Amino acid sequence: MKDSAVITIPADAKYLCVLRSVTSKMAELSGLGNGEIEEVVHAVDEACSNSIKYACRGDSSKEIAVTFHFNDASFNVTIEDTGIKTDPDAIRGRDLDDVRPGGLGVHFIHKAFDVVSFDERKEEGNRLRLVRHRKEHR
Amino acid sequence: MDISMETVQGKMVITPAGDVDMHSSPALREAILGQTGQKAAALIVDFSSVSYIDSSGIATLVEGLKVMNTYGGRLQLTGMTEDILEIFRFSKLDTIFEICGDMSDALGR
Repeated sequence: MKDSAVITIPADAKYLCVLRSVTSKMAELSGLGNGEIEEVVHAVDEACSNSIKYACRGDSSKEIAVTFHFNDASFNVTIEDTGIKTDPDAIRGRDLDDVRPGGLGVHFIHKAFDVVSFDERKEEGNRLRLVRHRKEHR
Repeated sequence: MDISMETVQGKMVITPAGDVDMHSSPALREAILGQTGQKAAALIVDFSSVSYIDSSGIATLVEGLKVMNTYGGRLQLTGMTEDILEIFRFSKLDTIFEICGDMSDALGR
């Protein structure tokens, strides 16, 4: 596939820095601007942190595969893990006015991406699809 | 992530260096809660050597603030990049935390 890359990391938080670097470079290659790159890096980091924490439950023998693909219309990221099935309805950010620890990651993901959807056809583990439309299409 | 701590003009200054993410935020949490456990009256977290913070890092700061509020302690944040400040604004936390422009500002207040 043209303009695409895949990185697979162990479900271990120490590899998140590697993932952020790759995400940043792919976003840069796709032509996103500085503010946009920071947003997508943050969102992918938060989504993978959720996979490590909630789906893989810290089991670093599990893996997370992140696929990047971009074209003239959008910057696309697919995050797949081999962890416990996540209930999409259970993932909700907290009310931003309700100041307490936690519940912000989902907001950062939705800020960066126009489409945030779990592929329910995946039988084992989770597949999260993220799509950011180009500025002119947002 | 490295964390240094020193007392400056009567205030405990915690300086993390590197990215604050799910991997490193437990160390920052330990540093902050170590101080709040001793009921530190004034704590400054200096972000001048931090280029990235995720929601786990923010949760750590919110937890520290909530603990300090229970005994009247004061938590100040300083040295944030514009990217990190934007995260606080988006999260509506810029009005909850005392955010200072730089270290001299934080020490002078």
